[in-house]
Amino acid sequence: MSRDFLRPPGAVPEEDFLGRCIRCGKCALACPYRAIRVAGLLDGLTMMGTPVIRARLSPCYLCLKCVPVCPSGALDGQVKKREQVRMGTARINKKECLTWQGTFCRSCYDHCPLFNEAITMDNELRPVVNEKKCVGCGICEHVCPAGTAAITIMPAGETG
Amino acid sequence: MRITPIRRIVQLLSLSAMVVVPLLNRRGIAAVSGSFYSLNIGPVLLTDPLIAIQSLLATLRFEAVLLASALIPAGIALALGRVFCSWVCPQNTLSELFDTVGSKLGFVRFFTLGSKPLIRYAVLAAILAATLFFGFPLASLFSAPGIISVQTARLIYEGTVGLELTLIAIIILAELFLVRRVWCNHLCPVGSMLGLCQGKKTLKVVLSEAESRPCIRCRECAKACQLGLNPMIGQLVPQCHNCGACIDACRKISGASKPLSFHF
Repeated sequence: MSRDFLRPPGAVPEEDFLGRCIRCGKCALACPYRAIRVAGLLDGLTMMGTPVIRARLSPCYLCLKCVPVCPSGALDGQVKKREQVRMGTARINKKECLTWQGTFCRSCYDHCPLFNEAITMDNELRPVVNEKKCVGCGICEHVCPAGTAAITIMPAGETG
Repeated sequence: MRITPIRRIVQLLSLSAMVVVPLLNRRGIAAVSGSFYSLNIGPVLLTDPLIAIQSLLATLRFEAVLLASALIPAGIALALGRVFCSWVCPQNTLSELFDTVGSKLGFVRFFTLGSKPLIRYAVLAAILAATLFFGFPLASLFSAPGIISVQTARLIYEGTVGLELTLIAIIILAELFLVRRVWCNHLCPVGSMLGLCQGKKTLKVVLSEAESRPCIRCRECAKACQLGLNPMIGQLVPQCHNCGACIDACRKISGASKPLSFHF
């Protein structure tokens, strides 16, 4: 089963993350947008106390204030620029996407912090994700006006 | 000067800090930030020694900054004993409160476990061995002060708390109905690790009898100890966490002669 949440920016790969994170909650305290939430027991015993981001609810705005406060190395202090972040990759569900279905919308394209790099428009003005540039912040998922987000983030390290 | 009133002030400050720090952090004032797992005071990083050792065992990686940040807390335990437990830890404050109320209401604890540290170190060893075996930071899930502080912050940030608080409820119920102060006295791995940091010169409660300061064997000190220790027969370390309740009780009887007092 793949994760339905993201880790904060700079997070080491998931298996390593679960071992390193000491559940101290500092990253959540540092997040000015309160996007980083603390997972509870209901999220699973191994998840308990770890930081999670649910982008549809509240995405990461890439301020990177959480990275330097992590004492355990679970968030890699080498990540200093937003271009270095790899929280996941956006994917467009073309069957749900308004533009791909013929109604013009450019919410994801307009709100992407890596403007015109991570999400570009093809020659019929439909959004396309550039997987090499996308950092997985989830702002596109957050702003998507479709009932169920037509653009979602596949968390880093997950497939399918 | 009685010790307990000063300790109560420190306990209250510690409880307030758990609320004030997240409130300030939320407004972007983050000079002090963190929890009882790991705390930043300005540029100084303080980490629970148990949590630092746990990270070493779980990841088998030498995180120099994390390990170094446990040195100040470990040093405080080396100098002053387990004062974190008795003066700062919110679980101890809660347990003390419930024990006082429980005793007043005449709650009966059905078992006693004596005052040997054997169980304490067996539990610590089991948790650390499991941490190493599974490569998982298990000790974090057993840090009562960590859980209480993170969940307080979570309540302030998210308006919700987690089921982790079940552990705290279980501790309080077990202490009220099964064994008096069983968590702090026999089980808590945080306190056990701090106990291991103590040495020969660590501050401790000592009965030093002399003609000028006779002990009249009134047993007030033993009665005052919630952990069930008896300062008159010594051998309090490592179970004693230097709360000073016995010394206060002694001075009530002995006045200025002070047969019982803190000594390095």
